[in-house]
Amino acid sequence: MQTKFLLPNKFKFWGWLIALPALALMILNVHFDFTFPFLGYAKKGLSYISFDNGFLFNIQYNNFTDEVGSVLLLVGLLMIAFSKEKDEDERISKLRLESLLWAVFVNTIFIIVSVTFFYSTLFLSIMAYNICTTLILFIIRFNLVLYFDRKNTNKGNI
Amino acid sequence: MKNTIRVERAILNITQADLAEKVKVSRQTINAIESNKYVPSTVLALKIAKVFQKRVEEIFTLEDAD
Repeated sequence: MQTKFLLPNKFKFWGWLIALPALALMILNVHFDFTFPFLGYAKKGLSYISFDNGFLFNIQYNNFTDEVGSVLLLVGLLMIAFSKEKDEDERISKLRLESLLWAVFVNTIFIIVSVTFFYSTLFLSIMAYNICTTLILFIIRFNLVLYFDRKNTNKGNI
Repeated sequence: MKNTIRVERAILNITQADLAEKVKVSRQTINAIESNKYVPSTVLALKIAKVFQKRVEEIFTLEDAD
């Protein structure tokens, strides 16, 4: 069975190579305010502070470390999550779909709990993590399922 | 749905890995089908039957629960 929208297997390696440093960068950025000075931007000749600065082309000053980090993290996670397995077949596609369903379920329950119990800045930081938690939950669950699947078959019969 | 793949394999004297290679799926998939944990697609069922040179119904049969 041909599954649409899956990347070739070798993308998975590059995904890890992009996602792990990006994850480290984002954790440093969110918790320790780490930024790269060369990603800083300030509009020249500012004579007033505009309140209409929420869109890319209206920004007056911003450091783009978190934007670059988030995009790299998401691209890396997407590459890990949706690259073909070396032995991708119809049953692995089914396990993939089940894991995706599980991840969306768990993540949504997690959001419902967060909305109910956490407020103000704590809620905002949880929502920041939430940008990538669905993908992370999916990757963990899918790889665990595959791991136990392979382990059971290997110690099982011929 | 139950199947007689294990028996058919014994007749041809091939391993799960051999059969997996012939029908281009992972060995885990053959294992899962044999232990009734996974129901193959029609295409895969037809491919497996072709390897054993039998009709699909001779290898795969419905159970009362299906």
